[in-house]
Amino acid sequence: MTRIACFVEKYNFAYSDEAEALETFRRTAQRMGHEFNFIFRNGLSEIPKYEAVFIRATTDPLYTAYVVSKTAWELGLKVVDDPVSIRICANKIHQYRLFEKYGVPHIPTVFLSKGEFHHRQIAEIFEIFGKPVVIKAPYTSFSKYVEKASCETSFREVAKRFFRRSDYIVVQKFMPSRFDWRVGVLNGEVLYVCKYMMPKGKWKHGVKRRGKPSFVWGRTVTLKRDNAPQRLKETALKACSIIGKGLYGVDIKEVNGDYVVVEVNDNPSIYKGQEDLRDKDIYEKIIKFLAE
Amino acid sequence: MGKGFKHSSTSENSCSGPRTSRVLYVRTDLLNRLQQPKYKAYSLKRMIQDFQSQTVNFKYTQGISDILLSGASRLLVVSNIDLKTNTPITKPSEFLKSSFRGFVLNINNDYRYMKTGYYVSLHAEILGNDVEPTTENAVDAYRPPIFLTRASKNGAPTMPFIVTDSVKQIIAEFAFPVVVFAVNPFSFNGFQTAKNRTALYRAVKSLSMNYRYAVCVQPLRGEIVSCKSFFGESPSEDGGIKEIAKKVYQTFRLPVCKLYIQRFDGKVYLCGLQPLKIDEITPLDVRLISKIVSRISGKGWFD
Repeated sequence: MTRIACFVEKYNFAYSDEAEALETFRRTAQRMGHEFNFIFRNGLSEIPKYEAVFIRATTDPLYTAYVVSKTAWELGLKVVDDPVSIRICANKIHQYRLFEKYGVPHIPTVFLSKGEFHHRQIAEIFEIFGKPVVIKAPYTSFSKYVEKASCETSFREVAKRFFRRSDYIVVQKFMPSRFDWRVGVLNGEVLYVCKYMMPKGKWKHGVKRRGKPSFVWGRTVTLKRDNAPQRLKETALKACSIIGKGLYGVDIKEVNGDYVVVEVNDNPSIYKGQEDLRDKDIYEKIIKFLAE
Repeated sequence: MGKGFKHSSTSENSCSGPRTSRVLYVRTDLLNRLQQPKYKAYSLKRMIQDFQSQTVNFKYTQGISDILLSGASRLLVVSNIDLKTNTPITKPSEFLKSSFRGFVLNINNDYRYMKTGYYVSLHAEILGNDVEPTTENAVDAYRPPIFLTRASKNGAPTMPFIVTDSVKQIIAEFAFPVVVFAVNPFSFNGFQTAKNRTALYRAVKSLSMNYRYAVCVQPLRGEIVSCKSFFGESPSEDGGIKEIAKKVYQTFRLPVCKLYIQRFDGKVYLCGLQPLKIDEITPLDVRLISKIVSRISGKGWFD
């Protein structure tokens, strides 16, 4: 029997699909004979009582989730998402630099520093990538802080906002597509495969409606992992292999029959009836990995 | 600059400013690099500009190549502070474009996550170099709970602390007064002290950004003093503080930082760590850093 702590925050229970998935995790663990408890940010002192920690709250080196991950790691517990994965995945610059180093096919990317942020540089970027370009803050998650710019004015406006928290930002070629592949990977094996469709007339999976606080999310179309294209799975596994052995969600775009990695996310979202629709055993596999 | 190459004719045509005979001396292997196909597309003007910056770079690298650290590797000092030392210093922006192999000593006033100091360490690590500080330590040192846990594990005296966003839990755990540190992605790692309930509510509300993030709370028994630490050497007179600064440096290896230390009953306890602002570094501090860097690299320093 393994005592597993699942670190969550209040917002993890805000959507019923996500809350149900968390409940499924708990039931599955108990059925397999493990103890599975949710801990919140006030319960950090309880971490030494457990043998494994599973983080479901949004991870970033600057959030409490990283403190949890690092504390558990120092104590020698099994952690999903481990601190190294969080550091790499939460910083897109770190990630793309690794992709460049190890030759993982990825979207054409340049990095822009605060010091080089001037007219000539922007003009050069437009010359290389054409218009529009996609600007990403290194700390992007849930499609936030990813914006499109097709002229220098809007480029400056977006970049200025992103430079507030980071001294470097990411600029990428704009590659429109109907959907992004999402491949869930656990410990070097494909866990689930699905397509994140773009909402109608939009270019990314989650879009804020203009003038409204609400988000519009695209549909999720799930495939059986055995039926997914082999080359897609290979690309995803290659991208994960340079980051670590944990739970990742790889975003991949299909461009003219080629697969290019958009990004690797730690802490991929798992919602009831979406990611788990075709492969029902994903909960068991994750719990088994935690309990090993 | 012995192996020189005279490049006067083209530079006269393209360089702005006074058109007297400007001569660029470039090392031969740099010239070979410019023969590579990827440089062919450069316009002449761009090439000259690169030439100029390469010449500057060359001046730096020449001095470093014969420095050996721990027997095997070359040392590169990357700093955004103007040091008064004979050791060649590379600016962070230059280093981020280079592909240096060897040991990188990253001296910066601020190593916080996603700041230039952090990206210098990151760049060095991606190139496969040893670097001080590592990105792991740079992230950990500025997260108060991890900072305190790791420092106390290494023998630095600390107060007990809790991570929470609930005022009730703080009151149940500690008696007033308390000191509250932020654990959120935005603030300059600030802290506030609270002597009573109202002040605590106010402090937690502001540092947790309206309860969105957690805070790290410690009891406040004595007074909090701040001290600068350069390579674990502190200008402070207090022996206990010197000892703590040394311990923190051994744990996190941050060359430049500011420590918050609680003095109580004749003893000292480690409280927190902050980056130094660039204007907090006085000429005296620059002298101290320069001295230490010179000692490490084995080169002299000047006043």
